[in-house]
Amino acid sequence: MSTRTTAVLRSAFADAAARRSAFWTQIAAMIVNDVAWVAFWLIFFNRVSSVRGWDADRVLLLFAVLTTSAGLVLGLLSNCRRIPTLVEDGSLDEVLALPVAPLPHLLVRRVDTVNLGDVAFGVVLFAVSGHPTGQRLLVFVAGSLASAVLLTGFLVLTGSLVFVNGGGRAGDLGLHSVLLLASYPADVFTGATKALLYTAVPAAFVSAVPARLIDDFTVSDALMLLGAACLFATLGWAAFTAGLRRYTSGSSWGRG
Amino acid sequence: MRLRRIGVPADVAGRRLLADRDGWVVNCLFYLIVSGVLSALWRAAAGDGDIAGYSAAALTWYIVTAEAATCALSIRLIEEVGDEIGSGAVAVEMLRPVPVIVVRLVAEVGRGVARLATLLGPGVALAWLVVGPPPSAAGAVLAVPALVLALAANLCLQHAMAAAAFWLRDTRAMWFLYQKLVFILGGMLLPLEVLPDVLRDVAMVLPFMTMAYVPARLAAGHVEPVLLLVQVGWLVVLAAAAALAFARGQQRLQVVGG
Repeated sequence: MSTRTTAVLRSAFADAAARRSAFWTQIAAMIVNDVAWVAFWLIFFNRVSSVRGWDADRVLLLFAVLTTSAGLVLGLLSNCRRIPTLVEDGSLDEVLALPVAPLPHLLVRRVDTVNLGDVAFGVVLFAVSGHPTGQRLLVFVAGSLASAVLLTGFLVLTGSLVFVNGGGRAGDLGLHSVLLLASYPADVFTGATKALLYTAVPAAFVSAVPARLIDDFTVSDALMLLGAACLFATLGWAAFTAGLRRYTSGSSWGRG
Repeated sequence: MRLRRIGVPADVAGRRLLADRDGWVVNCLFYLIVSGVLSALWRAAAGDGDIAGYSAAALTWYIVTAEAATCALSIRLIEEVGDEIGSGAVAVEMLRPVPVIVVRLVAEVGRGVARLATLLGPGVALAWLVVGPPPSAAGAVLAVPALVLALAANLCLQHAMAAAAFWLRDTRAMWFLYQKLVFILGGMLLPLEVLPDVLRDVAMVLPFMTMAYVPARLAAGHVEPVLLLVQVGWLVVLAAAAALAFARGQQRLQVVGG
């Protein structure tokens, strides 16, 4: 990451942390939210010992990876979910006027503290229920980072559809769908739905594949995850760059 | 005449929602995804047997109905209402000759029923396609009024909680907690019979069970009309609580500038 991008990220973080009471309230709220999900899974597996090879331990591992990676993306790179809004209201103009690469600058410009609670929760959940060893910790960190890269690419890709269709609904639907689908073990699904999770809406790579790698590492799965992360990062970057070529300002100065 | 006037906000809110076609189509797609995911999970868990008295088919109808009851409302309503109170914007509504809470509830019910209408068709089609017709026709019929009562009860409690903004000014974190209570104690993610005994007993005496569990249990084939009476009872209590909270809160409201 370049020095300039790091500096922007640091100032965005300082801005978020400056509102101290809101900062801690929001982090606490997100942790309560995550605890409720863990409670759901524990209740579920109290009734059903396992579903298609997934038991409570493995699902908690999946959830640890998901909260960590989604927390990193939606917390530190929070603008990746706001690309449609930034394009529609003309806020993109401010970034284009600067002598920096627009996408990295845009992504790190805003920090959402509420999602940083997810990161803390994910790490603690892994420490408590993930049976951490040196190797498992390494795979957890690498898997969460690969998942975060993939998720960022996917959100930038779906958000960049705004350059084509002029509305932010596709981005919203992409965000909610991928997070929702990633919250459940991919093997619950069959046929076309399962294929979808490994391709167009890559939710399986966001959580299920990294969780499986922690429990049962295979080089082929690791390469597949890495490949999917690179592919979606490239697609996101390409879609945003292509979109910028079509972009015309929507700022309030230029209207009417 | 006055009653007809009170119905106007519901009519307007419903029509506005339907006019935003992109909005409700996306909401509908999201509802189908949530319902599809959760019903797949429960079907995989139940297999050919049953869980707490629910077969795979019953669980599918349960999930489709419970999700419709909650997806028909704005997930962040507490935050939205709280923001309007905290910013003082609600003061404008106090100029009307009808209590603020009445207008708000009526408008939200109108919006909720319109959204529910857009969800039910695709939801029923999904469940029918996956597991066949509902386990009981009588249960399915009873589920329709139960869904409307569920919306109304949910809206009343959300407004009662949002009224905390008259004192606290900020209710942003509250919707998170509320949503989780409906998720688990309201039976949105799972039938209450699946909960451990103590938690189930607690959930059964809380109002959240009227918001997803009741219509979903009816649609899942448990024909228990008494559940509708439970909903009506809670609705009266929750509406009174919301009205009282707003009446007290409005007396405290001070708006400077604007």
